Amino acid sequence: MTLGAVKIEPGVKKAQIGGKLEQSQNDQGKMNPSSPRGQTVIEGQGVSKLFGETVVALDGATFNVRKQQFISLVGPSGCGKSTLLRMISGLIPVSSGTLELHGELVQRPRPDVGMMFQKPTLLAWRTILENVLLPTELSRKVTAEDRDHALELLELVGLADFAFSFPSQLSGGMQQRAALARLLQTGADVLLLDEPFGALDEFTRERLNVELLRIVEKFERTTLFVTHNIQEAIFLADQVFVMTPRPGRIAAVIDVPFERPRDPELMQSVPFNDLVGQVRKIFGNAAH
Amino acid sequence: MSEVTQTGGRSGIFGWMSNPVHLTRLAIHFGIFASFMSVWEWASRTGRLNDLIMPGPIAIADAIWRLYFATGEIYWHFFVTMFEAVAGFTIGGLIGLGLAIAAALSMTFRRYIAPYAVALNVTPGIAVTPIFIAWFGFGWNSKIALASLIVFFPIFVNTLSGLLRVDRDTMELFRSLGAKKSQIFFKLMLPEAAPMIFAGFKVAITTALVGAIVAEFASATEGIGILMQRYAHRLDIAASIAVLFSMSLMGLILYTLMEMTDRRLVFWQHADRLDRVGHRRFKKLMRLRSRGTRKPLGVSRRAQD
Amino acid sequence: MEHETIPGIGKSGTFSWGRIAKHMAILFVLLAVWEYVTATGIADELMFPQPTEIVLSVWPLYGSPGIVWYHLWVTMATVLAGFVVGTVLGIVLAALVGMSESTRRYLQPYIIILEATPRIAMGPLVLAWLGFGFGAKLAIVTLVCFFAPFVNTLTGILSANEPQIELMKSMGASKWQILTKAMVPDAMPLIMAGIRLAMASALGGALVAEFISSNDGMGVLMQNLTAVLNMPAAFATLLSLTIVGFILYRLMEMIEGTVVFWQNDDGMRRASRRREKYWRSL
Repeated sequence: MTLGAVKIEPGVKKAQIGGKLEQSQNDQGKMNPSSPRGQTVIEGQGVSKLFGETVVALDGATFNVRKQQFISLVGPSGCGKSTLLRMISGLIPVSSGTLELHGELVQRPRPDVGMMFQKPTLLAWRTILENVLLPTELSRKVTAEDRDHALELLELVGLADFAFSFPSQLSGGMQQRAALARLLQTGADVLLLDEPFGALDEFTRERLNVELLRIVEKFERTTLFVTHNIQEAIFLADQVFVMTPRPGRIAAVIDVPFERPRDPELMQSVPFNDLVGQVRKIFGNAAH
Repeated sequence: MSEVTQTGGRSGIFGWMSNPVHLTRLAIHFGIFASFMSVWEWASRTGRLNDLIMPGPIAIADAIWRLYFATGEIYWHFFVTMFEAVAGFTIGGLIGLGLAIAAALSMTFRRYIAPYAVALNVTPGIAVTPIFIAWFGFGWNSKIALASLIVFFPIFVNTLSGLLRVDRDTMELFRSLGAKKSQIFFKLMLPEAAPMIFAGFKVAITTALVGAIVAEFASATEGIGILMQRYAHRLDIAASIAVLFSMSLMGLILYTLMEMTDRRLVFWQHADRLDRVGHRRFKKLMRLRSRGTRKPLGVSRRAQD
Repeated sequence: MEHETIPGIGKSGTFSWGRIAKHMAILFVLLAVWEYVTATGIADELMFPQPTEIVLSVWPLYGSPGIVWYHLWVTMATVLAGFVVGTVLGIVLAALVGMSESTRRYLQPYIIILEATPRIAMGPLVLAWLGFGFGAKLAIVTLVCFFAPFVNTLTGILSANEPQIELMKSMGASKWQILTKAMVPDAMPLIMAGIRLAMASALGGALVAEFISSNDGMGVLMQNLTAVLNMPAAFATLLSLTIVGFILYRLMEMIEGTVVFWQNDDGMRRASRRREKYWRSL
């Protein structure tokens, strides 16, 4: 919980502008405190996405996500972060390059990947519990076990009393918590979150971020989190993919060396803000 | 909240009435109504208002008594037109729904049916009445046919519009969960379109009634439209107006029925329905019996690493 | 916020000859099937006319002796007159009622009752009052065209944009200025929608009026033609009514596009250019 022992480790990647990244020495062998096992879960090589003839949403992204890592994708609009997320989820196809998840090419949505959006996208005509059970319901018949499992998840996110309420009766923050419970219900071990707390006020957002970290660690999930808020990106992640627009690309990958669990107070510390400054510089340099 | 001060702490109509502002207003409403009625009756009695143009309220009340209670003549005609309207609504509605669903699911179908739908919309449905009468005769069928025709377009366009306006993010959610096309349609598109579909229904049911009545004007032997026409021809204005009221009553009944159905099926748009339904869902879901072993919380899909 | 007649189809910017050809092909096939079914007698020829017969009946109707034109003129006169009177009455009365909150409140129940009554069903009653002739027809169409503009204008005036009005007051605008520069334009979309609804029912209303109280007009023409089972001519007449309806519909669309120009892209572009010309010429 203390901020004392923080220092920039010698193996931290230096920021790079544009183009591909060299794999740092951090990956193999050395124990990174935020990633107990070193196995690669997602691997992208030169992943690009072209819309129509001319719009290059993403230009040659090469990256690597390991098990139980928390990756933040941060950048302004048009940098391709949401596009990359959607390609990993299998919702849109890759234009060129390879994208592999658990060693298989990503071609369509898979049960081991789950997504969460900025809008809670809860179905207004279903109770919260039924919303959480939606993933199960789509693949088979719902059993009592599923119901109890979902109820436990709701308890975990603090919505146990609202299991039979309707989305319109819940606040925005509560709806997103329900969406999170639904995401966990899928049992997916790779979680993709696209600015999930962006529409909420700052206080709720901060609270939910801390809760998210707690849950993701408890369930040992691999997480990719898209945001345009640099502080949020660094606070949450083990690694930050800094992405710049026109054309969209991963400009740099920055390791975040702070220990877990992380306290919001961290965001006031000097090392944290140094890191923020580092990231900002990348954006400043990339702007043309 | 102003709620408390408005109802003075009591619920329902007593609460509403205990507010002095409301009481004054109610009194004024009543006063206006009473004075209007008295002046009207006086003008009629003293001959200032020609009975042939507009009879007094008492004459109209008498006509209502005649039609509803003394002779009971109106009930059969009431039923006939109601039946025509509802049957027309059902037939036109089913066709409209079916075609709208097809158009929502297939862009090509939508594009090629569009000109015909537009042509149907701009053609005054009433113009088809003589043709329908030539085809279906003077009986109920021509009225039902006209009502179906008139009802088709509002239902078609509202259903199509509702089905196409599905929230994109929710659609992506369903796809990311690997939902099948039929699941997307029944679990997402249809419920999400329901409010708009019912809006179309509400418009359609009143239009169907009007269509049936108008078709009866063109030619019929029974029905509330022809009843009114007969009385008007005989210059029995009081009875005509009485029949007119009955038409409003009919319209009100049909609309209320539709509104009640809307509240039942599209319950999530009505805040006061949520608790009831939530409670019912609670009972249904808790009734599931447990069978096998429990999965520990948070086990991931991939059993192995 | 474009009006789409049929939702979900792109704007006609995606115009293509290929698509027109496909539309034509489908139409051709439908007509061919229709022709076949009626010519071979599968469908009762007395009831269901052949497309070729319909085409043949067009000449006597439109050319010589060209009886359609007279009836069309009669009907259109009724439609336009009734539409104008009804719409103007509706808007003016709504403006008057809307001005005073208490007037509106005490008139409200009667308005609701009137709204529940199908106005067109009052036809025979109006006929009894005014007798056969143009007067009764005009009255019926006026009745039909009155309600939508009335209700919409009333709603538009009542749902005033408070922040906007406050702003104007703070700038020292007079009541009249607030009315004309803020409230009316703000209510315009709703008012135009009411006017469009009125036009949509005007043609139908005129036809009904003719059914019950006239010797001329398209409605009567159709009745006469079907009475003698001249179905091809009846269909041809119906077709002309469709064309008339379409013209009126497009006319209303264009008027709305110009008056409430800020609701569609073309309108805004044209208005921008016009405004630019005006301001620069000062």
